[in-house]
Amino acid sequence: MQDARNLRVKDVALPLDRCPVLAPTAFFKTALEAMGRSRLGIVCVVDAEGILRGIVTDGDIRRQLLKMQKPFSAFFGDDVIEHTIPHPTTVGPDVPLLDAVNLMEEKLVWDLPVVDAGGKLVGLLHLHPIVRLLVNQQDG
Amino acid sequence: MDMKTITVGYGDVTKVQIGPGLPLVFLGGPCAIESRDHAFKMAEAIAEITQRVGIPWIYKSCYDKDCRSSPDSFHGLGMDEGLTILSDVRKEFGVPVVSDFSDPSWGPATGEVCDLVQIPAYLCRQTSILRAAALTGRPVHIKKGQFMSPWNMKNSVRKLESFGCHDIMLADRGTFLGYNMLVNDMTSFPIMARTGYPVCFDATHSIQMPTSMGDISGGQREFIPYLVRAAVACGINALFMETHDDPDNALSDANTVLDIKYLENVLRQAKIMHQARLDILAEFGEDKVHPNG
Repeated sequence: MQDARNLRVKDVALPLDRCPVLAPTAFFKTALEAMGRSRLGIVCVVDAEGILRGIVTDGDIRRQLLKMQKPFSAFFGDDVIEHTIPHPTTVGPDVPLLDAVNLMEEKLVWDLPVVDAGGKLVGLLHLHPIVRLLVNQQDG
Repeated sequence: MDMKTITVGYGDVTKVQIGPGLPLVFLGGPCAIESRDHAFKMAEAIAEITQRVGIPWIYKSCYDKDCRSSPDSFHGLGMDEGLTILSDVRKEFGVPVVSDFSDPSWGPATGEVCDLVQIPAYLCRQTSILRAAALTGRPVHIKKGQFMSPWNMKNSVRKLESFGCHDIMLADRGTFLGYNMLVNDMTSFPIMARTGYPVCFDATHSIQMPTSMGDISGGQREFIPYLVRAAVACGINALFMETHDDPDNALSDANTVLDIKYLENVLRQAKIMHQARLDILAEFGEDKVHPNG
C-alpha cells in the first residue's frame, strides 16, 4: 500500500460522476435532493464550461434557513446559484494529500472541490476516504 | 440578474421599449372590443391622453373573453371581427396592440395582428397555450395566476424560453386571499423581476373581487390610485389598466375598469412616481439590503 505521504489529491479524490454537480439555474430543491442521494454534505455548481462557480454545503443551508425567513416553497424554487458560496476554498489535483488535509483542518471543512489550473471542477476531495485510507495504513 | 429590455411593435407602428431605466409604459384600453366604433372612440381618447401625459402606450382590448363568470356575460366579438378591428386601430393610430388569447388554436391569428400577445392569468401555467404564445414570435405578456406565488412564475418563464420565446413581461394582477378577494403582494415585482424580464402591474384587475356578486365580479376601483403609486414605487416597468368611457355600461369588467375621466390623473401620478424612483436609484443606487444582514 502506498504511503499517504506520497499521495496526491487526485489519488483519493472522488471522480466527477460521484459528486453532486449542478448548473447555476438548477432549482435549490434539486440541490438538496442531489446532496441526499450522494450522501455528501456538499453540491458543486459549475457553468456550461465546467468552471466551478460555487458550492452549497449543509452548513450553508442551516445558516440560510435561520437568516432568510422566506417560505420553504420560495427556497425550493430559487436558482441554486443564489445560495452558493461563490469563492470556496479549493485544491489542485497535484497537491500533496497531506497538504490538502492540513487545509481541511485549517478551514474546518471536510470537502474540498478539486479544480484544475483553469478553474474547472475535476473532482471532490472528501474527508471520509482519506480517513479510511489512513486507518487502513495504520492497521496494515 | 440584469433585466432584459423588450421591444413591442412591428411594421409601421410606434415601437415601445419596456425595460430597466426606461420610461414607464402604459398598456390600456377597454377590456373587450365592444364594437368598431367604440374601439376607435376609446383609442382616440386614450391617444390624446397619453400624448398629453407623454407616456408610451400599447392599446389593449380583447376579442374573446373566455373566463367570464356567467354564460350570459358578453363573450366578445370573436376572433375574426375582433382582430380586424385591432388591426385597423393599430394602422389608424400607429399604436402597438395587445390582446390575450385563451385557446392555443387562436395563437397564430392573434400573433399575426398583435404586437404583444397576452396569456390570461388563469392559464399562466398551461403548457399548450404557452407554446402557442411563443410560436407567434411576438413578445409575450404573461399574468401571474391569482393562485400562483411570484417565485413559481419562473416555471412558466422557463416553459416559454424552452419554446424559443425570450421577450417576456410578467404581470401581477392580485393573489387570492380566501374566496372572492384579491390582494397585492408588492414584493411580487422584485421577485418576478429576478427572472430577468420586465414586470407590469395590472391595476384594474387587482382591485377585482372575483365573482363576488353571484354571476359577475365586483371591484373596489377606488383603490386603483393607491395601488398604482405603490407598484410604480416598487419598480414596475409597465402599468396595465383597463379603461372605459361608460363603466356602468361596459360589456366586460364593468366593476373594475377605470373611468376614462380619471385616466390622465392616474397616469400623471404614475409617471411622476416612476421618475422619482429613477432619481432615487441614480442617487442611492440599487437596493443592497441583503437578507443575510
